[in-house]
Amino acid sequence: MPEWLITFPELNRETLRAMRRSLDEGYRGFSRTFGESIENFFDPLLAFLVWFERLLLASPWWLVLIALGAIAFGASRSVKMVAGVVAAFAVIGVLGMWEDTMRTLAIICVCTVIAVAIGLPIGIAMSRSDRTQGAILPILDVMQTMPIFVYLIPVVMLLGLGKVPGVIAVVVYALPPVIRLTNLGIRLVDKDILEATDAFGAGSWQRLVSVQLPLALPNIMAGVNQTIMLALSMVVIASMIGVKGLGQPVLQAVTNQYFALGLFNGAAVVALAIVFDRVSQNYGRRLQRHRQIVSS
Amino acid sequence: MRKLTIAAAVLTAWLAAPSQSHAACGKVTIAEMNWESAAVAAHVYKTILDKGYGCDVELVPGDTVPTTTSMSEKGEPDLAPEIWINSAREVINRAVKEGRLKIAGKILKDGGEEGWWVPDYFLKKHPGLTTLQAVLKRPDLFPDKEEPGKGRFYSCPSGWACQIINANLFEAYGLKKAGFVSFDPGSGEGLSAAIAKAYERKEPFFGYYWAPTSILGKYPMVRLEGMTHDPASWACMAKPDCANPKPNMYPASEVLTVVTSKFANSAPEAMSFVKKFSWENKVVNAVLAWKDNERADAEETAEYFIEKFESVWTQWVPAAIAAKVKAATS
Repeated sequence: MPEWLITFPELNRETLRAMRRSLDEGYRGFSRTFGESIENFFDPLLAFLVWFERLLLASPWWLVLIALGAIAFGASRSVKMVAGVVAAFAVIGVLGMWEDTMRTLAIICVCTVIAVAIGLPIGIAMSRSDRTQGAILPILDVMQTMPIFVYLIPVVMLLGLGKVPGVIAVVVYALPPVIRLTNLGIRLVDKDILEATDAFGAGSWQRLVSVQLPLALPNIMAGVNQTIMLALSMVVIASMIGVKGLGQPVLQAVTNQYFALGLFNGAAVVALAIVFDRVSQNYGRRLQRHRQIVSS
Repeated sequence: MRKLTIAAAVLTAWLAAPSQSHAACGKVTIAEMNWESAAVAAHVYKTILDKGYGCDVELVPGDTVPTTTSMSEKGEPDLAPEIWINSAREVINRAVKEGRLKIAGKILKDGGEEGWWVPDYFLKKHPGLTTLQAVLKRPDLFPDKEEPGKGRFYSCPSGWACQIINANLFEAYGLKKAGFVSFDPGSGEGLSAAIAKAYERKEPFFGYYWAPTSILGKYPMVRLEGMTHDPASWACMAKPDCANPKPNMYPASEVLTVVTSKFANSAPEAMSFVKKFSWENKVVNAVLAWKDNERADAEETAEYFIEKFESVWTQWVPAAIAAKVKAATS
């Protein structure tokens, strides 16, 4: 049998090396030329992140607790919810993780808001056109399966270590669920209801805002929930590129086999996730009840 | 009978005579460690021992602790380039004392260098900042965007031993008072990417790193002066709860070539070369930078070294051997 039938006819080493090198060089050139302006573009975001973190860190702990309790109450109107939130943060504080938790809270809040703000419109656009959906779905697949380090190091080459590349990494990873489920939710809205809406002469904006979105809300909220969970699960990875917060002690615990340190900080991440999720889900449920669309 | 013995002796002498070194060298196994500089060194050893001394060289994969243990217990492999003595001191000292291993020489002339560095282009712009004390006066030159008004010092990732030492040095030299914050890069990859980024854009950088590495080869940096090693207070610096950290500095780490006594005794000529194999960090960094840049493997990199750094390696071998190696590789 000829040689090329036995071993796969691959490009020769020289060509492969040249290919990889020219790609690397290209990226380096790009980063050298545009890196600074891209970094400057993100400066307002960084300034906001720094300001928000400082606000949480500099405020007295009881004030932060009151504010968190008030937000929980405003979102859920449930005293039980408020008690749970306050208790969770009190335990975190007593165990000496207040500062790291505040840092993580700040960055995750911002990440979630950005992810939802980008994800909702994209999800809506996808639900309105099959062609858009066809174009965006593969991108979401890439975002969810591409090993994180593959894009983490190039992002660091572009923006340096710290909060902004951390936010980008987290948002890239956490964005897909909210897009997918917004798209799905709107597509699942009953065709008959839409026909009725059209019959009443609603414009497309009216139809979207007052019929499709409210009816898709349970699905959208499930997407938001997933996005929050994924964002929090990225805390440790983000700390590998210099994001301060609960991820750092976890990383330290992993490298030094400090079991308890890892467990405490891991539990704090879980507590944050549960608080975020319950508050936002309660808010979502209340929103639906408000609009009288969940008939019970 | 006697005739036979003489015949045998003559035969042996005849076989041995034209290539005495060949017969004396024989089969040599060399550990190819799983990090760059040692792997390249292993291939350089292989090329010179093979082409110059006619040894039959085989490379086997290795790592500090398993390789030194196997050398001392089983006498295999024969040679380990680049043993960072701090990570295997006990095994090696015992085996040397018991006569099973020999320390051939310092493969890294300068030893392993750890310390606090600034990039060379930065010093060209600010020629005075070669000492820590000068750097400490200018936190504004190393701005930390996340801590407006402060300077950023890139420390070690969480969990590394050097993080603790850096934290103690940070306090001892009063960096906090000088307006610096210690920044945790999170991972070794993060730290090297930060250096690469700073270098590509000629931005300031002030932080911890170590040599020889491909990073310092590709991105030349200068180690800050004004910090000296003090063995007396060093033990405390490695402790996270050091009560009163004093100014200090990382000691140079001895990096050695270790061989089995069997090899040292059976191949004296080859051994004299092994003893002389010692290169400067500058050379290693440059070779590793080429390797990284060309995406080459250790073998190709060793070829590159033999070809381009003739003035370095020809000092390790007699002229006749050097000529043989050159003839075989060109």
